[in-house]
Amino acid sequence: MSKKAVRVLLSTFVIGGALTMLLYTTVSEGAQYYKHVDEVSSNPQAWYGKKLQLHGYVVDKSIKRRPDSLDYQFDIQNNGKVIKASYTGVVPDTFKDGSEVVLKGHLDASGFAVEPDGVLAKCPSKYVADKPGQASQPTQ
Amino acid sequence: MANLGTFTILAAFVIASGAFAASIAGARRGQRSLIEGGIGLFHVVTALMLVASSMIVYAFVVGDYRIKYVQHYSDEAQPLFYKLTSYWGGLDGSIMFWVTLLAAFGSVAVYLNRERQRLLIPWVVAVIAVVEMFFLFLMVVHNNPFETFLTVTPTKGQGLNPLLQNYYMAIHPPMLYLGFVGMTIPYAFGMAALASGQLDDSWFRAVRGWTMMAWLFLTIGLTLGALWAYEELGWGGYWGWDPVENAGLLPWFTGTAFLHSVMVQERRGMLKVWNISLIIVTFFLTIFGTFMTRSGVVQSVHAFGEDRALAWMFTAFMVVTLTVSFGLVIYRLPLLRARNELDSWVSREASFLVNNWVLLFSAFFVLFVTMFPTLSEAIRGERLTVGAPFFNKWMAPVGLILLFLTGVGPLLAWRKSTLINLRQQFLWPGLAGLITGAAVVAFGIPLWAAGLCFALCAFVATTIIQEFVRGARVRSRATGIDLFTALVGLFARSRRRYGGYVIHLGIVLVFLGFAGAAFSRQEEVSLKPGQQVLLRPYTVRYDGLRVSDDGQKQMVTGYLDVTRDGKSLGGMYPARWFYRNHEQEPTTEVALRRGPADDLYLVLAQYDVSTQTAELKVIINPLVNWIWFGVSIMLIGTFIALLPERTFSFATSRVPAGAVTTSLLVLVLLSGGVAELRADHVTSAQTVVIPPKSPLEKDLQTAIICMCGTCGRKRVGECTCDTAVKMQTEIAKLVAAGKTRDEIIQQFIAEYGSQEVLSEPINTGFNRLAWLLPYGTGLAGVLMLGFVAVRWSRRSHVEPLSETPSVPANPALQDQLEDELKDLE
Repeated sequence: MSKKAVRVLLSTFVIGGALTMLLYTTVSEGAQYYKHVDEVSSNPQAWYGKKLQLHGYVVDKSIKRRPDSLDYQFDIQNNGKVIKASYTGVVPDTFKDGSEVVLKGHLDASGFAVEPDGVLAKCPSKYVADKPGQASQPTQ
Repeated sequence: MANLGTFTILAAFVIASGAFAASIAGARRGQRSLIEGGIGLFHVVTALMLVASSMIVYAFVVGDYRIKYVQHYSDEAQPLFYKLTSYWGGLDGSIMFWVTLLAAFGSVAVYLNRERQRLLIPWVVAVIAVVEMFFLFLMVVHNNPFETFLTVTPTKGQGLNPLLQNYYMAIHPPMLYLGFVGMTIPYAFGMAALASGQLDDSWFRAVRGWTMMAWLFLTIGLTLGALWAYEELGWGGYWGWDPVENAGLLPWFTGTAFLHSVMVQERRGMLKVWNISLIIVTFFLTIFGTFMTRSGVVQSVHAFGEDRALAWMFTAFMVVTLTVSFGLVIYRLPLLRARNELDSWVSREASFLVNNWVLLFSAFFVLFVTMFPTLSEAIRGERLTVGAPFFNKWMAPVGLILLFLTGVGPLLAWRKSTLINLRQQFLWPGLAGLITGAAVVAFGIPLWAAGLCFALCAFVATTIIQEFVRGARVRSRATGIDLFTALVGLFARSRRRYGGYVIHLGIVLVFLGFAGAAFSRQEEVSLKPGQQVLLRPYTVRYDGLRVSDDGQKQMVTGYLDVTRDGKSLGGMYPARWFYRNHEQEPTTEVALRRGPADDLYLVLAQYDVSTQTAELKVIINPLVNWIWFGVSIMLIGTFIALLPERTFSFATSRVPAGAVTTSLLVLVLLSGGVAELRADHVTSAQTVVIPPKSPLEKDLQTAIICMCGTCGRKRVGECTCDTAVKMQTEIAKLVAAGKTRDEIIQQFIAEYGSQEVLSEPINTGFNRLAWLLPYGTGLAGVLMLGFVAVRWSRRSHVEPLSETPSVPANPALQDQLEDELKDLE
């Protein structure tokens, strides 16, 4: 191999290696696990304290708001398993009974604590083709 | 009709395959007839796609709910405007939209280049036809937009969700698509160059304009998306590093890199393999982005369904694309040898190379982190996601490096800069940067990252201004004209270069806007009427709620009064709207007060009508408007760079030099003036309006205008002031009394003294002239201008410079000669 090629390859490896290490360390700080409600509720203690993105559907008539404040309490479910959640802040427009939501926060004994701006309700229009014979409502 | 639509798509697929086969056969055999046949079939595909598109649009307008797609995204009550834009509202239609745009672009590109790029054209046709065939195949077997219901025949539609019924829905997707699809054309030419072995510089010269145009549309599309998020979604920000957003950003990064590195190939014959690889990667990323947003392979707020079959088909296409494209590159490696080597790291080529590395790193970083959840699930079984703060932490230093390069690149000389060069070029910009940095520290602004950003903005801005000033000065000294005309002449001679500088100036302003995000503040408060909240320098006082209804939606509006440093700034009215039939999905109407220093952003998060309490979110976003302003400067720069040869040469040769400058100055001032005339429309609170109870009332509410004098002659049905309400009540009374349309109009004319109260003068007799006059004079003006232009350009025939006598070609000498000539500039 020519000297130039050796130099190029060597510098690529060194820089690439340094960046990968940097990436690895920073990702592990910021990473959040993406889980569905039923996956977590089978063994909640295992998930205490870990940063989670919890995916589920808001249980009908479970949304409670303390009057004159932005404190919310509601339940989310998936395949029958339910988790209680609490949140303070602005909720998105599409947040209502039955909405498909992803909650960012962490789980502890008293339920799921959602971090500020951590309620992500999915866009109401699904960008997908209709399967024949199926309604376009999320499965409950 | 649905069957006809399906057939059209099927026919387009078959004919595209014919175009592909004919072109390849014709290119390999060198048979003109086959090539011409291929081109003809290619144009037929375009025609068929236009027909198919018009059919689906017709189905929307007419309300043919037997077609599933139409039934899903439209309904009777939907305004016509949104019926039309629903074409790209769902997956199937968006694929058809993609093919239609690709076919249209392809036809134009082939037509424009049919003479100049004879050897490349058949291969270009073949490549575009293959891409068309893939998307058509998707529609034929999987996602047919013309699919009908088999057992039921619905008479009503579901309708487009009100959250999507806004202006941005109409313009953001088409702009993005124009950008994505536009990148296929340069790719096709690149592949054509590889396949045919014609690897001189002509392939990318042919498509430089296309790439810039596609880049322009991509920039516009991304910015519109950010604006949409900012104005409609109400979370106070404009970019969330959501997978869909990132999908649009990836080809933008590589496209920008490509636009820069082709300059190195043009000047120094280097980076040939790099450039062709870049355009392949850019095209690949457009397909990958489409794949990501449709297959459900990543989770996003833009909810995607999971479509395994679609995912597999896309994956197969992408694998084939990469294999064939890079296979061809490897095959043609001998022809892609660089003509020169990198002489020094202190050179423009080197800075472009570093610029490319940074942009490519950004692209792959964003790609990797976006796909990280999928990758981690595949490897470790756990789905791990990373949020926006992570992206911002990494992209901030990367962005600053890019900003720094923007200033350094144009100042370094080709091949090598000497120390004297460096001192001369960097003295003023360096000083500007350092002084700004010192000022930043003195004012207590943190150096990382906002302070550094400000210093770099000053640095880069000074480099750009320096280039303009020095260039104009040299020109004016050489030709003896004034500085301003010299400046215009600079643009005329090197549109791409100085247009590029304007684009860079826009980038500086955009970064200025980004830096402001470091200083944004917000408050969430619960208020009763009379209470106020202070978020310096604004004080927001809450006065109460009002509930109103306009027939289409119910509106709950918060009445807020804003003061700054004691001076009242007027009222702001954030609201929540509840559309009929969609009461469970209210829309947030943000109250936004824009300014060059900051934005005041108010959201009515929650309310209780009985106690009149409101939960408010108050956000201050400093400097954010510089982003939008910076983008518009970038657009102007791109237009300048895209101008064809003849524009300026005509203007500067036939008209006295000074006149050009004066007229341009006048135009610029006028355009600024016109913008001012559109007075700032402060969103007024929705008072109770009188909804029309009959078609006649509705008609009259559009025929008569509000005479309050402050709404700018709005139709009485649209204005919400008290005078309008009074007039609406009067119309309602007259209609109830049984008067005819003409009688009511005559009564209003008598009451207000003239036809001024009407939105249009009555179309009879003398008034017809009023109608015709503007059109007539416009037409006459255009004809006159055209006549004068043709006369002038034909007046004296200047003999074209005789061709320099050809010297027997010695390629090595030719190359050296070309290099040295280029270095002279």
